Amino acid sequence: MANVVEFKNYSMGFRDDDGAVSNLLDGISFSIEEGKALGVVGESGCGKSMTSLSLMRLLPDAAVVQGGEILFEGKDVLKLSDKEMQTIRGDRLSMIFQEPMTALNPVITIGSQIGECLVLHHPELSKEEVRSRVIDALDSVGISNPERRLDQYPHEFSGGMRQRVMIAMAIINHPALLIADEPTTALDVTIQAQILDIMKRLKGESGSLLMITHNLGIVAEVCEEVVVMYAGRAIERGTLAAIFDNPMHPYTRGLMASIPTMHSDKGPLPTIPGTVPTVYDFKPGCRFADRCPHCKDICTREAPQYRWVGDDHIVACWLYEGEGDGNA
Amino acid sequence: MTRYVLRRLGRGLLTIFVSVTLVFFIVRAMPSDPVSLMISPQMSKAAQEQLMHTYGLDQPLLTQYVLYMKELLIGNMGISFAKRIPVTELIASRLPYTLVLLAVVMLIVCAIGIPLGVYAATHKGKLADRIISVLVTVGISIFIPFMAFLLLYIFAFRLKVLPTGGAYTPPMKEGMAFVADVARHIVLPALALAITNFANAVLYTRNSMIDVMHEDYIRTARAKGADEKRVVHKHALNNALIPTVTVIGMQIGIMVGGATVTETVFSWPGIGRLIYDSVNALDYPTLQGTFLVMAVAVVIMSFIVDLVVARLDPRIKLGD
Ligand SMILES: Nc1ncnc2c1ncn2[C@@H]1O[C@H](COP(=O)(O)OP(=O)(O)OP(=O)(O)O)[C@@H](O)[C@H]1O
Ligand SMILES: [Mg+2]
Repeated sequence: MANVVEFKNYSMGFRDDDGAVSNLLDGISFSIEEGKALGVVGESGCGKSMTSLSLMRLLPDAAVVQGGEILFEGKDVLKLSDKEMQTIRGDRLSMIFQEPMTALNPVITIGSQIGECLVLHHPELSKEEVRSRVIDALDSVGISNPERRLDQYPHEFSGGMRQRVMIAMAIINHPALLIADEPTTALDVTIQAQILDIMKRLKGESGSLLMITHNLGIVAEVCEEVVVMYAGRAIERGTLAAIFDNPMHPYTRGLMASIPTMHSDKGPLPTIPGTVPTVYDFKPGCRFADRCPHCKDICTREAPQYRWVGDDHIVACWLYEGEGDGNA
Repeated sequence: MTRYVLRRLGRGLLTIFVSVTLVFFIVRAMPSDPVSLMISPQMSKAAQEQLMHTYGLDQPLLTQYVLYMKELLIGNMGISFAKRIPVTELIASRLPYTLVLLAVVMLIVCAIGIPLGVYAATHKGKLADRIISVLVTVGISIFIPFMAFLLLYIFAFRLKVLPTGGAYTPPMKEGMAFVADVARHIVLPALALAITNFANAVLYTRNSMIDVMHEDYIRTARAKGADEKRVVHKHALNNALIPTVTVIGMQIGIMVGGATVTETVFSWPGIGRLIYDSVNALDYPTLQGTFLVMAVAVVIMSFIVDLVVARLDPRIKLGD
């Protein structure tokens, strides 16, 4: 099956006020097949949002691309002109942002904000057609009374409602790839479940899904493949079964162990000691070395290569040196 | 909405009442006596007293105040000490000039200042933006009388392309010729008066535009595939204009009487000039009248600002 998107050894970083660039994303590689959902998990600050914003080409001003390719439907988005990028965004490729409270324009009605996606990419549609398609979209994400809601402003919507509006906006043109950046973090549990249902339904309907979250439960429910990120590196990736049943990287293992289950005893959940380093204090070697229970001498000196450890399973860790066939 | 208008009206009237009262007493606290200015020593004692009586100056202060307020209620602002005509008439003859002047200032500020601010914001850090920012800082800090004299010196004395003062060259012409004449006369005072507001408008628009361009919803607009022009005009501008409108609007209201210096330097026959003349002549009724007009202008402008802001920002409900 063809890949909708493929990150090839992609790196980016941030330029500080003095012009020095600190690397964040380091050699990220993964791909998503048509119709599949990929989950990107990792602690806060590990670069999940930067990964998705790189694909959208919506990085903050301070960001600099340092290398690699991001192929979307066969074309390297890093090489597209602004114009070409604009024709893709919101049509073939769309994104639900992490912050539903601030992601909508406070002075424009919901209806015209959603309708804008249609107006921009399908100028041939009449006003009435746009309106009726916006109503359908609102309806499909479970907003009741869409005819009336259309003319309201974001402040008249709750957080959960706004997130649905964002989703409606992102799916109205049936994108080939939908990026969902923590689509449920800001929501309470019942709304979370509803939103997840919407996302699952939509994966079947409209193509592939890139699901960013630090909630492993969501990944297990929605995704076929998983990328585990740590401090800007994709330290492990594979099928859902491979990652969940057979986590290899010490960080992934820690992550899995910290999920509460029905069978875990009532004692404190295992946690990974320490915190994620920030862009400015990355050291040579494995970025997880400081917190790793299996840290060896080489871990602090040299970054581990990716190696295949199963048919659908890749890990970057010195523990598995000598296993598999190396250099994935 | 009706409730809002009523409440607003009540508050406006209260503001005006307080300001009229304050002005009434402050004017009378000025350390000189209008009577001595009005009355020539040659006048007979009886004639002097007659004059004092006509203007009510022989009454105790509080009685004068009550009398004044009563007359004000029926639209009588008294008789000018200096011109010996009703203050209403005097103000009515001057107000149009001030309003025309302010309209031109407003036009300069909105039609050039706001777009320039947007331009600077969208070219942040580039050469054009830096030049604009420097000029704006100069514009804000410049001493207006200095600016006025500089303009006069360059355009009226050196280049001799524009008149030195007044609103028209007498005799007064008819129709379009009059309009053209006034237009020539208005250029310099309007420029002098616009400078600070213009600079403020550029600065506010630029800064709030830069803030708004970092908002999440701007990124959302881009994510939908909107191009830069659409992002700026449809998504950023309305949001960015909210603070600018408030500042400019209030400033314009104050300028109805606050343009005293400019109007005086350019002999522009508006309210500001009238204030200057009335202070010199200790013309209490006229002073009170002009300040009343100023208070009314400020109240009206703040009402208009509220309406415009409510139009720009749906989160603001006029009912509250
Ligand atoms: N403008 C910027 N300049 C410098 N560093 C930045 C900038 N924006 C983000 N970062 C850094 O990039 C790193 C990754 O940020 P990112 O938003 O991708 O994290 P994330 O994985 O999405 O986290 P979260 O789960 O909290 O959303 C963070 O450590 C952050 O400090
Ligand atoms: Mg994020």
